[in-house]
Amino acid sequence: MTIHPHCTVAIVGGGLAAGLVARQLAREKVQTVVLERGGDVMGTAAARIPTQRDELRWDVRIGLMQDAATETYTLRRSRDELSRPMRRLNAFLPGTGVGGAGNHWNGQAWRWVEYNTKLRSRLVERYGRKAIPDDMPLQDWGVSYDELEPYYDLFEKLFGISGRAGNLNGRIQPGGNPFEAPRRNEYPQGPLETTEAGLIFQETVQRKFGYHPFPSPAANSPGAYTNPDGMRLGACQYCGHCDRFICEANAKGTPAALLYPWLEHQPGFKLQQGAQVTALDYDDKAGRVRGVRYIDLLTGVEHLQPADAVVLAGFTLTNAKLLLSGGIGRRYDPVTGQGVVGRNFCYQANSGMDLFFPGRWLNPFLSAGSTGTIIDEFNDDNFDHTGLGFLGGGYIGVNVSSGRPIKSRRLPPGTPRWGSRWKQANADWYAHACSMGVQGSCYPHRENFLDLDPDYTDAFGQPLVRITFDFRENERQLSAYCTGQARKIADAMGASVVGPAVPRSAPFDTRLYQGSHITGGTIMGADSATSVVSPRLQHWDAENLFVAGASVFAHNAGHNPTGPVAALALRLGDDLARYVRNPGRLS
Amino acid sequence: MKDPQAHSAPAPGNSRREFLRNIALVAGAASLAGAANAAALPTEPEGESPPSEYLSFGPDEAAFVEALVDVMCPADGLTPRGVECGLALFVDRQLAGAFGQGERLYRNGPWRPGRAEDGFQRPLTPEQFYKAGIAAANEACRRRHGRPFAALDHGEADEMLTVFAAGGTADEPALLGEWFNELVYPLFVQSCFADPIYGGNRGKVFWKMLGYPGLPAVNGLNMVRYRGKPFPGARTPMSMEDFS
Repeated sequence: MTIHPHCTVAIVGGGLAAGLVARQLAREKVQTVVLERGGDVMGTAAARIPTQRDELRWDVRIGLMQDAATETYTLRRSRDELSRPMRRLNAFLPGTGVGGAGNHWNGQAWRWVEYNTKLRSRLVERYGRKAIPDDMPLQDWGVSYDELEPYYDLFEKLFGISGRAGNLNGRIQPGGNPFEAPRRNEYPQGPLETTEAGLIFQETVQRKFGYHPFPSPAANSPGAYTNPDGMRLGACQYCGHCDRFICEANAKGTPAALLYPWLEHQPGFKLQQGAQVTALDYDDKAGRVRGVRYIDLLTGVEHLQPADAVVLAGFTLTNAKLLLSGGIGRRYDPVTGQGVVGRNFCYQANSGMDLFFPGRWLNPFLSAGSTGTIIDEFNDDNFDHTGLGFLGGGYIGVNVSSGRPIKSRRLPPGTPRWGSRWKQANADWYAHACSMGVQGSCYPHRENFLDLDPDYTDAFGQPLVRITFDFRENERQLSAYCTGQARKIADAMGASVVGPAVPRSAPFDTRLYQGSHITGGTIMGADSATSVVSPRLQHWDAENLFVAGASVFAHNAGHNPTGPVAALALRLGDDLARYVRNPGRLS
Repeated sequence: MKDPQAHSAPAPGNSRREFLRNIALVAGAASLAGAANAAALPTEPEGESPPSEYLSFGPDEAAFVEALVDVMCPADGLTPRGVECGLALFVDRQLAGAFGQGERLYRNGPWRPGRAEDGFQRPLTPEQFYKAGIAAANEACRRRHGRPFAALDHGEADEMLTVFAAGGTADEPALLGEWFNELVYPLFVQSCFADPIYGGNRGKVFWKMLGYPGLPAVNGLNMVRYRGKPFPGARTPMSMEDFS
């Protein structure tokens, strides 16, 4: 084994959360090593014209994602089922390489509604204690929106986020999201252009329903932009190759464009590529980790990186895996409800339908990753749930992000699947159809959790993470309700045909992409009996171990998770800079 | 970034052929190591016609897939028949290449047949599964019509595809439905709409059919100029080769 010189902070994973933690540490001159299993994708065929625009390679064959042959996950829908490995990754897609999935995201950069970090308190206050089912372990996160606001603000500036404010210092702004948490500043950049489909949606929900549509907050840069670190973005070219692709125009806010090129010039920062982390060195008696073990993928040799403090900032499931395999913290037991590592694993209850507008040119190929027009009237607890029989909700919107022809063609129900009539329908509808989607929340369920699979291993001989998950009654009800609300809007938009509005339901289908927004497993909270990390993201059983990423979310909302991931990571960076100078339990 | 429309027309050169030859060399090596019926390495095709040597299919398999793509994509006012669009060639190349050999597929045991929602759970490569399905499909055709799929007339073949898509005959229910819906059909769609550099969608004929403009580099102005209007670039789609 190769033992490296001691470092101050070692970070597991080189994605968005890691880059933001490291950025705050670098500003305080704290020596940091980032351990990333993958390499640098910038400057490769994935980031150049014309090879960047290869739908088969990067989208259908998910060329930039984690290789399932090396590491995947198993799934069962209940404890009495045998697990099966996801032999192909389809439902959610972990990234790999410097910058991680933050390089090939669509760029929806939301602030979650302010009550989300105090959701349990909010729901108890509004509906009473009995409104929360016994099998729904909702809990407050132990952090307030006000504490996160400066970090949301900083993230938006660092990534040049575009949008239109809906709530400036408590004053509701026309054209923005009236349910938005109060913000001290406008978005750093104005909104993207609205798509034709977005205009139809906007007009319909305003005029016929009185709702408040607004442009999706986006990390697709509408113009040239320079961030506070002097890092630059170009203008988005609306090329329709964003999610699952690297932006060759350098117009997408990504860790590979904005964080790591800056970090590599900072003294004391080191990025170790090809470092497959396999374990944390944990001293349970001392309640500390001594460092990080990894395999150097160039040689296969095991290395140890000793550190004063360690941050887990891998993919959601990686963070849980390293704690479970290292025996760090008590494993969650769904029978007793005791234990913490693996609990509150959540997905999202997403659904949608296709709309067809003969004669209207929707031109889906003219789009950016986050050219969406959205309403939040039915999201989370923005509406009264009294008597509805479920908690949570979702945004409803028309996101046009691609006209890529293999996967983004829409055909009316009843169209034959092949032959001349199939071809004719493709020719007739390609430029004249769009979809409307619901991004539905997913609250925790006692029986949705993570542990280690007893039968399957990865390429490094370690157990695969086993996911026990299905859409339970609450999510099925909320999806039926929100999909029904979306259907009412669709019917009023003037489409000649509206495709079936199918709510998300059980059984969970691993074949279908349902968004990569999985959360939980190493959740945060004020009570060590029900959380893995404290409100400062400090591990309850290992004082010098911290966790960043959506694995700390105690539930999942009806918004993309990147905003709160980023805000929490920036705050953690500041906390760590304090910690390394004055170690102890952070309060 | 230059306006892609300003690029010169693609030279009537060999980049597509070279690409196909290159993937043929890589895939050919994999086939020799694995599949029993790997074709000999191709030689440079003569003249301007695209290469047609199959790297995965034997003659009976080629006949099956050629019949399949011609039924699923008959010649009509929109496109030539499937074989002429390169659709069989695309499928062959995918099966002989990384996808067909199981790239990005977790292949550790234990093997547990699952429900449909668990996805692919067979200890086969996609190439092996595709060929096992061809054999089962031909068997189903022989039982019903006394002939293999490639010898059926268009109506019979079309009807058999409907049978496969619905889950196969009573004798082979588990194999044929998954085979057709999860492997054959997606490869067919990809053969139509993927970049022509992979061998299908020859002449960008399916992109022209849709009105998909291909690979524009810059739409910053087009986004506003053509919002709600026909997009002129849709008539002359640009592929990877057009940028090379």
